[in-house]
Amino acid sequence: MWLQIKALAIKELQIFIRDPAAVLLVFLLPLGFVVLMSYALAEPFAEQRSRQIHLPVVDLDGGPLASKLLAELDQMEAIAVERRFQGQDLNRKSLEHLIAEGDRSIGLVLPAGLSRALRSRAGDPIAVELVSDPALGDQVVEPLLGTIRGLCERLSFQAFTPDRVDSLFERFGGSMPAIALDGIRNKVRTDVLTSLQTPSPVRLMRVAPASMQHVVRPDAFQQNVPGYTLFGIFWIVVLLAESVLREKRDGTFRRLLAAPLSRGVLLAGKLLPYYLVNLIQIALMLAAGRLIFGLDLGSSPGGLVLVGLAASASATGLGVLVAALVRTEAQARNLTILLLLTLAALGGCFVPRFIMPQAMQSAGLATPHAWALDAFQDILVRGQGVVEILPELGALMAFAAVFFLLGVWRFRFD
Amino acid sequence: MAGSDCSCAECASDECLVEIRGLVKRYGSRKAIDGVDLTVQQGEVLGLLGPNGAGKSTTMAVLSTLTSFDAGTISLCGLRLPRDAARVKRLLGIVPQELALYPSLSGTQNLSFFGRIYGLRGRALSERIARVLEIVGLSNRARDPVRSYSGGMQRRLNMAASLLHRPRIVLLDEPMVGVDPQSRNLLLEHIERMRAECHTMIYTTHNMDEAARLCDRVAIMDGGRILAVDTTAELLKLLGSGVIHLACSGQESMAAPLAELESVRSLDTSDGVLRIRVSDTQAALLEITRLCHERSATIHSLEALEPNLESVFLHLTGKSLRD
Repeated sequence: MWLQIKALAIKELQIFIRDPAAVLLVFLLPLGFVVLMSYALAEPFAEQRSRQIHLPVVDLDGGPLASKLLAELDQMEAIAVERRFQGQDLNRKSLEHLIAEGDRSIGLVLPAGLSRALRSRAGDPIAVELVSDPALGDQVVEPLLGTIRGLCERLSFQAFTPDRVDSLFERFGGSMPAIALDGIRNKVRTDVLTSLQTPSPVRLMRVAPASMQHVVRPDAFQQNVPGYTLFGIFWIVVLLAESVLREKRDGTFRRLLAAPLSRGVLLAGKLLPYYLVNLIQIALMLAAGRLIFGLDLGSSPGGLVLVGLAASASATGLGVLVAALVRTEAQARNLTILLLLTLAALGGCFVPRFIMPQAMQSAGLATPHAWALDAFQDILVRGQGVVEILPELGALMAFAAVFFLLGVWRFRFD
Repeated sequence: MAGSDCSCAECASDECLVEIRGLVKRYGSRKAIDGVDLTVQQGEVLGLLGPNGAGKSTTMAVLSTLTSFDAGTISLCGLRLPRDAARVKRLLGIVPQELALYPSLSGTQNLSFFGRIYGLRGRALSERIARVLEIVGLSNRARDPVRSYSGGMQRRLNMAASLLHRPRIVLLDEPMVGVDPQSRNLLLEHIERMRAECHTMIYTTHNMDEAARLCDRVAIMDGGRILAVDTTAELLKLLGSGVIHLACSGQESMAAPLAELESVRSLDTSDGVLRIRVSDTQAALLEITRLCHERSATIHSLEALEPNLESVFLHLTGKSLRD
């Protein structure tokens, strides 16, 4: 039996490598997509640095320094301060909702007592919160944090220094001899210099809305290398379906069925080479990602292997199902291409699912692509291992089993 | 029973390799095979002759174990179908109607693949590939992709693939379909060579020349039934020295006087035509035209059929083999 499977598999591979279009489709197309799309989408992945930041704010302080802080922020070209959104005053809850829904990516909460803290520079630092989408890149958040910190310091000194001088003059009276005025001058200098060495009166905190989980997002290559690898391995569906139809049309299936060969062996020998081609595809694409684009492959090679095996199983399983359902080679090519493009798009191979609307993100879970991509990115982006990707592996194997069983049930050899 | 000139022990054994009794195959309510009885002896070439839809290919599909059957018994080399299908498959060589080959692979690669499927390996496989390529005259093109072969060469390779494992029975299902005349002659020669080498074969065709040239016996099939099975010479005797088909006015009243003519042996009516078997075609034509003249019967058509398998088929079914 194994020798027959081997003979069938070798025959299938010989036919495959003699078909330049198939080799191109399977290996070069996804690699081309990776290069093209990674560079094309580099800017969006860099979080649109050149665009103005809309900054919704909640001012719980209401004091003059908080107002001045917001006014100065609003005067900056890169920042548009929003105290209201769609005609409604903002509060902490509505601000978090805006960010969770993706209407805004970052917002500012000024705490009650901020003005007093800036003016006095005494006691524990007061927390100013920058509420942001966890997916928002540091390249956006850090400059904003620096700007706010700088403004707070400046406003604090502008308020603190005259106050300090006034209090000293009130304390020592107006009729002082010259020598006493020198003493006061020295005292003011000492106080101001000392206060400069005290910690900032504000502590800036980056926080996520309560409803949003903190996750690390992929960069362009971490998205595109696994994304287009998965897009590529599912092309095997077209090749497998066409190959099966060709065997039916040419009568080679009938010839083989008349040979001492069971249908199970025939099907296994037919599928094995496509499964192997899928594994080679994944290995080559990840190797290209590493060598050409410097992609960090994470610390779980075993996890990568398991994702590769499971994703290939679901691709081959889908191939069996499609091969069982299509009746003509035109169907195999046109309808299947449409199906594959839809699944890949929905599964986040072209555009990351996290930037899609919630409904689309949920719909994506109906595709094996989404699960496989999540598993790859858990390893490549988040540094996770086999244990963490077990749910994704389970889903992929379930897809493979359902596709395969339905396919075998509907499969006709003639 | 074998019709070849071979005198080897196998051919001399007279063993019955194929025995079919009361075979019935239905597709829904339609009977594709309707009570077929056939036997084939060791070394014999049996032709299944009939038009498209006669049931030839269905019979071959059943014998190839590709299709189940509804009634009857089939014994191949002493093994019963469907019970012993797995063992029977090793004894059969199938030459399908289609060019069941992989066009992008070379001739050798195709044969190597099919040989491995039948369990051949190593030197045995290489020797068999070389031998069958030699038999079909393709040794010099063995390394070329099959898609570069002519239609006739592909047919020959199609046949070679069925001979690799030295089958005891070769089933050839319309192997000449779509073959140009030159390649056809080459293929016929190859099959004649196989026949001389004692291959037991069942050969389906709707071409009477092929059947007459290649087959020891011919089974004429139509509508899923065997109408006659015998050597070509015996089948031709069914026609006497010939058959005349007559259509004329007042046909019903003409039957009795026609039957009394001296050169007429028998007659019957089918599809509005009088089919008259005669002992002397020339004399009968004169007598028939004279009788029609005397009785003022207008002759619409008068056709004298030469005694060949085509006319035997026409005589038996009232239809042309090409219908």
